[in-house]
Amino acid sequence: MKASTAQLALSLAALAVAAALVFIGNGYQVYLIAMVALTTMVGIGLNVLLGLAGQVSLGHVGFFGLGAYAVAILTMRLGMNFWPALMLAGALAGIVGMALALPALRVAGPYLAMVTIAFGFIVQNGAIEWRSLTGGANGITGVPAPVLASHVFSTRDIALLAIALAALLLFLFDRFATGSWGRALRAAQASEIASRSLGLDLVGLRVTAFALSAAAAGIAGGVFAPLSGFIGPSAFSFFQSILFLLVVIVGGAGTTAGPLVGAILVVLLPQLGARFAEYQLLAFGAMLLVVLWLAPDGVVGALTRRRRRDYGSGRALPTGRWSPDESGGRMLAARDLAISFGGIDAAGGISFTAKPGAITSIIGPNGAGKSTVLNLLSGFYRPDRGAVLLGDHRIAGSTAHAIARAGIARSFQTSQLFSGLSVAENVRVGLRGHRLGSLFPLESGGREAGERRAAAELLAFVGYAGDPDRRADDLPHVDKRLVEIARALARKPRVLLLDEPAAGLGEADTARLATLLRRIAAMQIAVVLVEHDMGLVMEVSDHVVVLDAGRCIAADSPSAVQRDPAVIKAYLGEHGYEPRPRAVPLPPAREPALAIAALRAGYGEVEVLHAIDLTVAPGEFIAVLGANGAGKSTLMRAASGLLRPVKGAIRLGGADVSALPAQRTVRQGLVLVPEGRQVFPELSVSDNLRLGGYARRSADLDSEIERLFARFPQLRERRDQRAGLLSGGEQQMLALARGLIAAPRVLLLDEPSLGLAPAVIARLFTALAELRDEGVTLVLVDQMAGMALALADRGYVLEGGRVRRSGTAASLASDDTLRQAYLGGGAAP
Amino acid sequence: MRGVGKEPHPVLIAFALVSGLGLGSMYGLLALGFYITYSVSRTVNFAQGSSMMLGAVFCYSFAVTLGWPPALSIAAALVLCALWGLVVERIAVRPFASRGSHGWLMATVALGIIVENLTLFLFGKEPRNYPSVLADTPLDVAGIPILPLQIVIPAAGVGAALLLHFVARHTRLGKALLAVMQNRDAARLMGIDVERAIAGSYAASTVFAGIAGILIAPLFNVSSDMGTLFGIKAFAVAIVGGITSAWGVVLAGFCYGVVEAMITALFGSTYTQILTFAAVILALALMPHGLLGKAGTQKA
Repeated sequence: MKASTAQLALSLAALAVAAALVFIGNGYQVYLIAMVALTTMVGIGLNVLLGLAGQVSLGHVGFFGLGAYAVAILTMRLGMNFWPALMLAGALAGIVGMALALPALRVAGPYLAMVTIAFGFIVQNGAIEWRSLTGGANGITGVPAPVLASHVFSTRDIALLAIALAALLLFLFDRFATGSWGRALRAAQASEIASRSLGLDLVGLRVTAFALSAAAAGIAGGVFAPLSGFIGPSAFSFFQSILFLLVVIVGGAGTTAGPLVGAILVVLLPQLGARFAEYQLLAFGAMLLVVLWLAPDGVVGALTRRRRRDYGSGRALPTGRWSPDESGGRMLAARDLAISFGGIDAAGGISFTAKPGAITSIIGPNGAGKSTVLNLLSGFYRPDRGAVLLGDHRIAGSTAHAIARAGIARSFQTSQLFSGLSVAENVRVGLRGHRLGSLFPLESGGREAGERRAAAELLAFVGYAGDPDRRADDLPHVDKRLVEIARALARKPRVLLLDEPAAGLGEADTARLATLLRRIAAMQIAVVLVEHDMGLVMEVSDHVVVLDAGRCIAADSPSAVQRDPAVIKAYLGEHGYEPRPRAVPLPPAREPALAIAALRAGYGEVEVLHAIDLTVAPGEFIAVLGANGAGKSTLMRAASGLLRPVKGAIRLGGADVSALPAQRTVRQGLVLVPEGRQVFPELSVSDNLRLGGYARRSADLDSEIERLFARFPQLRERRDQRAGLLSGGEQQMLALARGLIAAPRVLLLDEPSLGLAPAVIARLFTALAELRDEGVTLVLVDQMAGMALALADRGYVLEGGRVRRSGTAASLASDDTLRQAYLGGGAAP
Repeated sequence: MRGVGKEPHPVLIAFALVSGLGLGSMYGLLALGFYITYSVSRTVNFAQGSSMMLGAVFCYSFAVTLGWPPALSIAAALVLCALWGLVVERIAVRPFASRGSHGWLMATVALGIIVENLTLFLFGKEPRNYPSVLADTPLDVAGIPILPLQIVIPAAGVGAALLLHFVARHTRLGKALLAVMQNRDAARLMGIDVERAIAGSYAASTVFAGIAGILIAPLFNVSSDMGTLFGIKAFAVAIVGGITSAWGVVLAGFCYGVVEAMITALFGSTYTQILTFAAVILALALMPHGLLGKAGTQKA
């Protein structure tokens, strides 16, 4: 952290200049300098919350006031010496802060804001009303000056004291922020779940931050009392809390020098002239708004950001061989794990064992419960039933951070790297885990170098060749994956859980990942892999567990699983129901109803679809097939307008809709029935249908709803029930009816059979066959590949975001490409 | 800190109850504004108190300064309040919410400070008395002197809540808003413009605040800072009520108003704010999601 050291040096130099000015300034100027120093102190405290923990306190003036009154009362009423009184004031504010944070931090956001506002008001009103102690609205006058070795402090001396304390706090903040605590707080702010998975206890971490923050404000208040000589409740208003926040935001939250810069601006600007003083609140409000708009990182943040771009560091790093703990891995066993959400079994009695030194893969179609199992194993969900054994210890039911400490590390499906931190810092959060050590590490050279070396070794081990000082959010996708694995390995885990590490990787990178996974397993770590790149799974796994609809349907070697009829059925969806093919062949098309050309789309920097071409003739039924993660749902989201922006063309009857948002493509007649049904659970069935026709103002919806009720009679029976109470099958019928009432020119269906029982799926496909025969143009994405092809005229097989094959439904159904796309290699190349 | 030995007169208690219900309904009205924007967009206008002040100041300026007829003054003031809501959303919320930043919290606070101080310069520092025929002569209700306005206020508060309920349940617009609250992406797929729904929720929220400002102006004078504390109390009400439940918010408003008035009647105004705000912290410690709020979102 070179930048922060430079900031610290500059800030200390500025304070030294201020100290020199104290000797030449007049009384009022000295008072102002002292106020800058005290405001800086409160700002530094708030910076711990706002800049490191990402929490807002709208009542920090309460701690400032608490400190001021504590010193005044202790010195005047109890005759205590100033110095112990000041320490008690800081401790009191810290303890009150801790007590306040405990309930408030369990619920973040607006709740925390409310608790801190209420606290500020309680302090101010307590000061007004507890007259016997505080002097009420008149306040306390004649707070005595501090005395040190029989020298009575003048205003000048108090100003020097304030400057010295501000310098001390700046130094401590720098130590705290660049040390393991600051790193852990920034990590928790960037990703709560990832920090819990590394063993961090977020409540303890944040309560500590809140207590430190409050203590800094309390000490500042304690010095304010003798400086001003008079304290009264009017100095501790709600608005003053806002001013303190302004100090940190304008200066730059999270930067070392920010509070000093902010304090200088906020304290000195009103001194520019009487006219300005009159408009100062207006000016501060405008200043806050402008800074939030233009420089969200504040003055210092904006300056250092430019510097970082100018001097990118490219130092060579020590390379080395990382080796894990010698104590070895442990067997991880799931015993009859079960959990349900809202009455639906996400996992129902899952048992398997992952041996140390082996790779155990969990596979299964979409919605089979794979991620649920990982969340149960790592403590993010608490199972309704069953046990998780790590060696001989039962760990199910513990908190996520306790399970992490027991030796289970994990990665996440979407990258959960700590975005504000560098690559090396990400790994170092893992290296430290919950052993954060000293709050203000003074001598850090040796340990610092040791940690950097260990991080570099780990990064070399996973094959990350880039700059360890690069910000994690600037990394390319592959490197994010690797760094996340390095961070998990830094915990020296006995078990490593990986959630779709190959998602979004190209062929070469997937091959390197396979090698890495084997090397990790070779170190006697039990690796559990959830993955839908079947090529990778079949290549690296020792043992494959197959889930379907929350149940374990097979557990065997890769080759045995590939041949297992139950597995093939789960993936290709043979449920014993024969859908009815089209009786009369479709006449050849003139103009396509929907033409997608060279469509590219993705999320953030990850491109998921690479130049997709797809056409649909009027009245045609198209099946889009492919394994999990092939890009089917992304294609549906891109076509419907939910995913914007996209590159390429989406022509609906000749007009390009690729720039339109979803609410406008619907009006053009391109309608999506989304994955997971997505009915409005709190609205009645008829209201859901009415919303389906929202875009058709002129239509006679009532008679159309009647027609749909005739088609789906079970919806009529439940017309006034809330949609959330319907069964999964009924919800799917409702979602289909809600799509139809929008009068689609092309109806897109995303995974309608997902999570439905076979009999319900049969009814659904019968309904789809009827729609097809009535001339509705349909594009169907579904796991039930065999059934989808039986209904369809033509089909497309996606793999890795590209169209791998397309053709008539009959030709695809008889082709081996499909089984390969779903279950990976094994057959002829 | 015990109450003084003297028992308060029953009429005082009844009077406190009436004024508590009245104020409580106004807290509830402002808090409903928090509820609407939070449900639709997961953001709130921290300057809700200044929206209330604007309603009162606009109405005063039209009715008293310019001498417009009351109905026209009220309508014009509420239209301006709605426009103000759109401005808040456009400049202090959307720029931050669209990039996932929490900056909207401080930005709305800043906007509140700006508008309060602009009002201070344009409207003047002196609080103005807002004459109203409804606040002239008290009625005698079972021996308790009650101003007609004190009956109108809770009636209007409950009326506004019922109106909101009716609009949500029985109009196309209301159902569209409910759809956005329940599932944003699915709402888009129905052809609903989510961005406009959010802007609309801000307009509705400031109109509610404006109504409250106009209603209480005759009881409390009109000034640029009349809304600050009121807005904070209303936010406490919204949070304690469980910000995602409309009826929880209304209920919490009445509770807050009555508790506040009772503490004042029984112990004097000395401890009102300390005790009510302490009660807020306690309530949140015991019920982290408010009276009727839901604990997190349930997976369907």
